[in-house]
Amino acid sequence: KVITCKAAVAWGPSQPLKIEEVQVAPPKAMEVRIKVHYTSLCHTDLVFWQAEGHTPIFPRIFGHEAAGVIESVGEGVTDLKVGDCVLPVFTGECKECKHCKSEESNMCDLLRIDTERGVMMSDGNSRFSINGKPIHHFLGTSTFSEYTVAHAGCVAKINPKAPLDKVCVLSCGVPTGMGATLNAGKPKKGSIVAVFGLGAVGLAACEGARIAGAARIIGIDFNNERSERAKQFGVTEFINPKEYEKPIQQVIAEKTDGGVDCSVECTGSIEAMVQALECCHDGWGVAVLAGVPRADAVFKTNPVNFLSEKTLKGTFFGNYKPRTDLPGLVEMYLNGELELDKFVTDKVSFSDINKAFDHMLKGEGLRTVIKVIQD
Amino acid sequence: QVIKCKAAVAWAAGEPLKIEEVEVAPPQAMEVRIKIHYTALCHTDVYFWEAKGQTPLFPRILGHEAAGVVESVGEGVTDLKEGDTVLPVFTGECGECRHCKSEESNMCDLLRINTERGVMISDGKTRFSKDGKPIYHFLGTSTFSEYTVAHAGCVAKINPEAPLDKVCVLSCGASTGMGAALNVAKPKKGSTVAVFGLGAVGLGAAEGARIAGASRIIGIDLISERFEKAKLFGVTEFINPLDHAKPVQEVIAEKTDGGVDYSIECTGNVKAMIQAFESCHDGWGVAVLVGVPHSDAVFQTSPLNFLTERTLKGTFYGNYKPRSDLPGLVEMYLAKKIELEKFITHEVSFADINKAFDYMLKGESLRCIINLIGN
Repeated sequence: KVITCKAAVAWGPSQPLKIEEVQVAPPKAMEVRIKVHYTSLCHTDLVFWQAEGHTPIFPRIFGHEAAGVIESVGEGVTDLKVGDCVLPVFTGECKECKHCKSEESNMCDLLRIDTERGVMMSDGNSRFSINGKPIHHFLGTSTFSEYTVAHAGCVAKINPKAPLDKVCVLSCGVPTGMGATLNAGKPKKGSIVAVFGLGAVGLAACEGARIAGAARIIGIDFNNERSERAKQFGVTEFINPKEYEKPIQQVIAEKTDGGVDCSVECTGSIEAMVQALECCHDGWGVAVLAGVPRADAVFKTNPVNFLSEKTLKGTFFGNYKPRTDLPGLVEMYLNGELELDKFVTDKVSFSDINKAFDHMLKGEGLRTVIKVIQD
Repeated sequence: QVIKCKAAVAWAAGEPLKIEEVEVAPPQAMEVRIKIHYTALCHTDVYFWEAKGQTPLFPRILGHEAAGVVESVGEGVTDLKEGDTVLPVFTGECGECRHCKSEESNMCDLLRINTERGVMISDGKTRFSKDGKPIYHFLGTSTFSEYTVAHAGCVAKINPEAPLDKVCVLSCGASTGMGAALNVAKPKKGSTVAVFGLGAVGLGAAEGARIAGASRIIGIDLISERFEKAKLFGVTEFINPLDHAKPVQEVIAEKTDGGVDYSIECTGNVKAMIQAFESCHDGWGVAVLVGVPHSDAVFQTSPLNFLTERTLKGTFYGNYKPRSDLPGLVEMYLAKKIELEKFITHEVSFADINKAFDYMLKGESLRCIINLIGN
């Protein structure tokens, strides 16, 4: 049956979201309908809400970091049932394609991220409408709604003991950063790691380096105010490139006897990407790109950086396979190995969802958790 | 004592070498003097002989791929003695620095390749002279001479049963290519590999991929005549970019359902480097850069190619540590696990050394062996 519920709808680019009553159609084959309990705002929501330099797709329900409970399942869904606690994810895992079968890749051929699509794949239609007019989906998740519909392959089933107001951040930002370090960079115990950008993804990368046992975690950011908070995430030294005349690669090389063992780039700035490669040590250094750049960005460097045995990698969602790996991250949180509470810097009600946007636009805080579930 | 012997001297850039009688001083501390039996011409010798766009350093004794026997050792040399069968190498292994101690790197801080230096490190002087005038060294090897002096850390002691007219090619080209495949790309059995450039280094890479059990080895070269010979090295398919209107990355992707698992770039052409990287599969592809570019070359690509989980690496000398690893390669040859004869296409006497340059400049040869002991 169709559910009528509240959703925060974006009617146009950069327009404050409006809480509207929407109709949410039942899940079709291989889909599930989820009651969203908590959701958080991620920078990628902001980028597509601002829609600068992208095809504007409106009206749209944003949101892709969330945790909730399955309300109903469509035909053919066997891995999920009503009542399961889940994290909907902006990228999926069909488990059949070459990517899903590969040990390394998480870029499912069928269900990988699609920022342009505003409808469900099975029939090309939206499950959301207001007075019969369709409202577009976002990243196959659209979690700024009391109920949403997602493809079953994009939904990770997690331990029902997990506090949903904390683990919602495991749908995107935190694994992206942590995985960049743990799965792609793989720094050894006692190594030196540099992280560019100390927003949520960067701090998650630092957290990953801390978990890996890095001896020094150098945080690089233009904003000095971020240095204090970064200490909670394992950062041992802070560098603001604006305070130096010489290139940051040189500053880092001087502080580390030739360069870091592993660097992780979490800003999306093309200059920072090049700096991340060039600041790692020849012979063994590994640089990992995690931040998403502008569409027209070009990465350039002297090839001698590779001939001197540096490695450059990139990651997508920290190389985590959503259905296979996220439940394990939730377990790591439950047993205390992984700390998530420190990522949550504010909590707001659903009706105050625009405060989350304000915080992010002002560069305040890391993650604002939005309480969607009514008491 | 000083030895008088024959050497092929390059008196000026691009001028045919002249066989001269030269004086070779005895080895100083940590040096050894080697009687060269066989040497081969490598493209890097030609490059510095032509000296286009570099500081010309003449008169100079070139040559860095060779095999010989230790004639005398300087003070403090403990790992080598008179009569040892050796391969002098253009890069060294002090055994003490961070690079030598690292499992991964072979870029010794003290003894790594230096193309500008024409003298010995200990006293800044050359061991070669003619009529009292100094003749410069090249890459610390200068093997186009019946006797040469090298730092003991740059000399690999090998099995005396090895035929020196074959294993001399392991001092540089064949090892660089094979190591790029075996040590850096590390192709899994059954994988697909693309090799750009089918000269000696590229064929070494193909050979490495063959040894690793690759199911398809795609050779890319602008010279179609190279394909036939390449089949001996495991190449299963050949692409000449000149035969296709579309970019070679696209041609490769179409032939391999999205891209190769590994690509190895062995030309030094920066466009080929970009093609090699962009032709590997998203999710897991690894590209390895081997060929040395012009000093002002710029590698550029869209950063999205990294964010879709491709890895870009590079190698120096196939990541082999000269003293630690070359003896093992010689053993592999003696056990018939690697084939070296197929790299050798010509053999000339020392007096005819300039023919080796002619063959290489005309693109007619892989490796031309130069016989210095006159058997």
